[in-house]
Amino acid sequence: MELKVEQDNCLGCGVCVVACPVNVSISPEVAGGHGSKTTETIMMVENGVIKLFSSEKCTKCGTCQLFCPTDAIWLE
Amino acid sequence: MVSNTKEVEALDFDVMRSAEEERKLSFKDEVCIGCGICEKACPVEAIELGDIGAIVRTDADESKICVDENKCVLCGMCSVSCPVDALEFTIDGESIKDMDVYPQYLSSAEIDDETCIYCKACETACPREAITIARELPDRAKLVTGEIEIDKDTCISCGICEEMCPADAITMDSKIPTSADPTVASDINVDKDKCVYCLICKKSCPVDAIMAACRSCSYGEYDLNPADAEVTGSSFIDDDLCVRCGWCEEICPVDAAKVKKPFKGELTVDEDKCTTCGACVDICPCDVLSFPQPAEAGQLVEKVHKDEKYCIYCGACENVCPVDAIEVKRTDVDYTPTKSKSWKNKMESLKT
Repeated sequence: MELKVEQDNCLGCGVCVVACPVNVSISPEVAGGHGSKTTETIMMVENGVIKLFSSEKCTKCGTCQLFCPTDAIWLE
Repeated sequence: MVSNTKEVEALDFDVMRSAEEERKLSFKDEVCIGCGICEKACPVEAIELGDIGAIVRTDADESKICVDENKCVLCGMCSVSCPVDALEFTIDGESIKDMDVYPQYLSSAEIDDETCIYCKACETACPREAITIARELPDRAKLVTGEIEIDKDTCISCGICEEMCPADAITMDSKIPTSADPTVASDINVDKDKCVYCLICKKSCPVDAIMAACRSCSYGEYDLNPADAEVTGSSFIDDDLCVRCGWCEEICPVDAAKVKKPFKGELTVDEDKCTTCGACVDICPCDVLSFPQPAEAGQLVEKVHKDEKYCIYCGACENVCPVDAIEVKRTDVDYTPTKSKSWKNKMESLKT
C-alpha cells in the first residue's frame, strides 16, 4: 500500500496534516493547527494544496484518509 | 500423524513424500483480526501482515495477510498459532486442530443452556457478533386468567376499547352505515389469547358494555402453572467469529457464560506518545480500547481508555499504532502438550 494524493481534489484545509499521528510526533506544533516547521513530516500544505514530503514514514494507519473531506489523500 | 512414507518393494526402496497426502492452508479474511501472530510464527517468513490499519479503517480491497506460496512449506504453524481460526490447515481433509499430536490453544467460550435465562445481554455485548440467542417466549394467555365479555346489545361501536386496549385484543369490524343498516360496525370481538385482563376496556367503555374480571387479582394465581411462564431457548457461539474476549462472561447476569483465554499478558498505552488517531480503537477486535467522554466540559480525560479485562493480548493494536505508543506483552500461552520440541519452542516463542 502506498500513500497517494490528488492535488486537484485538495482544498488545502490541512486536516490530514493535523490528524496524521506521525506528523504530530515529528513536529508537535502541527497538533495545534500550526503548519509544520520541517519537511521531515509526511505531508504539508504548500501553496494551498497538499504535498507529500516524507511519505516513507507513513505507517498506513489510514487516519488522513478518514479525515480528508475531498478524497484528496488515500492509501492504495 | 504426518510422516514421510517409506515404501519397501523387495530390496529396492523409495523414500517419498506421499503424493496422496493433501495439505491445504486456507485463509478467511473476515475472521482475521490482524494480530500478526502468524507472521511471527511462520518459520520461513512466508507470511506478510498487510497494512491492517488502512485495510480495516478504509474500504481497501486487500487481504489482511499475504502468504507467499513459493516460500510456504505447509507446516501448519500459522494455523495453530492463529488465535481466531482465520487460518485453517488440513491434512487429507482433517483439520490440524483435531489432531492430538499438534498443540492447540487452550481456549474456549461456552454458554451453559441450563443456567442461561436468554436475556440476550451477551448477544448485544459481543464485539464480534458471534453469539445468537434463540428464545421462545411463554404463551401470554397462560400467564393471565380472567373473564371478559362484551354485551353487543349495549355496545354503541364507539371503538374506544379497541383504541385503548394495550394488547390489541379487541377488534371492531367497522363499516359505513346505510339506511338499511344504520350502524358503524358489524361486529366486535375479544381475542382471549391476547387479552391480559387489565380491565382498561371495561373502565373506558362509556356505556358499560364490557364485563371483565381478572381472576388472579381476585383469587390469586391458583389456576396458573408457574412452569408455563418459563422462557426456553438455546444459545449459539459462532466459533469462527468468537475471539474469547470475555465480554459475554462479564455481562452475563447469571454466570452462564464461561470464557477461557489462550494468553495472559499486559497492555500498556503510552499517554505521552499517543496522538489519539484512533487506529487502535478501530482495530481492536474486543472493544478493549475506547475514547473516554469527559463527564463535564473542560475535564481532562485519558487519551485512550483501556478495559483490559476484555483484552486477548493479540497485539493488533500494537501493530497498527503509528507512533509506537502501545505495548502488548504476552506473559503466558496456554496450549495442549506436544511431544515435538520445535512445536513447543514455537508456542513458547509467542510470549513476548
